Amino acid sequence: MIWESLKLSLLVVSTATVLVGLIGLAFAFLLAKRDFRGKELLDACLTMPLVLPPTVTGYYLIVLFGRRGIIGGFIYDLTGWTIVFTWYGAVIAAAVVALPLMIKASRASIESVDPNYEIASYTLGKSEFETFFRITLPLAKRGIFAGLVLSFARSLGEFGATLMIAGNIPGKTQTMPLAIYEAVASGDDRRAQILAIILTAISIAAIYLTNKISSSRIY
Amino acid sequence: MLTVNLKKHFSSKSKTEFLLDVSFSVGNGITVLTGASGSGKTSILRLVAGILTPDEGYIKANSQTFFDSGKNIDLSIQKRRVGFVFQDYALFPHFNAEQNIAYGVKTDDKKFKTNKAREMLSLFHIEHIGKRIPREISGGEQQRVALARALASDPLIVLLDEPLSAVDVETRAKLLDEVENAQRETDIPFIYVTHNESEAVRLGKHRIVLQNGHIILPIS
Repeated sequence: MIWESLKLSLLVVSTATVLVGLIGLAFAFLLAKRDFRGKELLDACLTMPLVLPPTVTGYYLIVLFGRRGIIGGFIYDLTGWTIVFTWYGAVIAAAVVALPLMIKASRASIESVDPNYEIASYTLGKSEFETFFRITLPLAKRGIFAGLVLSFARSLGEFGATLMIAGNIPGKTQTMPLAIYEAVASGDDRRAQILAIILTAISIAAIYLTNKISSSRIY
Repeated sequence: MLTVNLKKHFSSKSKTEFLLDVSFSVGNGITVLTGASGSGKTSILRLVAGILTPDEGYIKANSQTFFDSGKNIDLSIQKRRVGFVFQDYALFPHFNAEQNIAYGVKTDDKKFKTNKAREMLSLFHIEHIGKRIPREISGGEQQRVALARALASDPLIVLLDEPLSAVDVETRAKLLDEVENAQRETDIPFIYVTHNESEAVRLGKHRIVLQNGHIILPIS
């Protein structure tokens, strides 16, 4: 049981971290480098999962991805499949709650790159796209890595939204935090203890790594 | 030949309003642009490079129009082929000297890029620092790399924004020689911004003096 939930958690969290990395970076670039109407509103919406109770986030995810949801209904009509009560649902829940951390950390990092480097690159004939990937991104990598580590840790601890959209099915959607809840509820203290220690160790490692990255000198 | 005739209005909450209104023409050679702080020297360079956009007027380099408000032409920074040397050098901190120079060489041929970068390093007598990153080299060497990088991009004009303000007097004299040599080699217009009088006198066969956004003295 412990092994199964650990394996599932790692699968869910690593998939969610890849998603968060790609989507988070795209939004961070948009918010850091572009001015458009509704920018602050978009920022607020993306930050919301950071402050909303996870069950509320989970509720919105059901409204969006449920069998009768806005997106989920469309998928269900087309394929007869629903994301609810699958590990994909757990991935979505984990990604949505971690996304604000990734966006905040990488946006701040992208904004802190001296604009003269980017201007210098433009004067040398490089496009905005090439400049972003060859100059801005490498110079902002510290904040981006820190964002990824924090997102990984946050995804790993996700409970409320996961329970709402993916349920608590052992071997299928029961990630480590859910397994701890069930172990305590059924009086299996030893299992709860082992799982809690594993999660604590990973969390401490994540904080240590983030601090290490933040204080290191890159260039 | 660079011809500039432009107006640009600057306003901000903290500062009083400022109007830059200049018209000048410079030929192949070094033109020194001087004036007190806030007189608009750096703004002129930024307008010519395309970092800022004029309200009206035109900017032409040889037969190419960079900007013309009457004809609705506004070439992007990338297309203007302007070599820009920044006051703080703006060398990419994650690239070594050779990579910094190679970055601006306009070709997809990697070997050509590297060869060109090495050629520029040797032109400025800094072959020995090719593999070092900016933080590991002196201010004078950084300045040479910045100039080499600007020239390696095959520019139509070179703009230097107080490039020697952070180097010592002895290095400054050597670098001024190298700026002059580089101009002679390329035979294109260089606009050199400084508020250091001895630098201005040393370089300035042609000189433009700015005050409050207006040219008060063109000296030839």
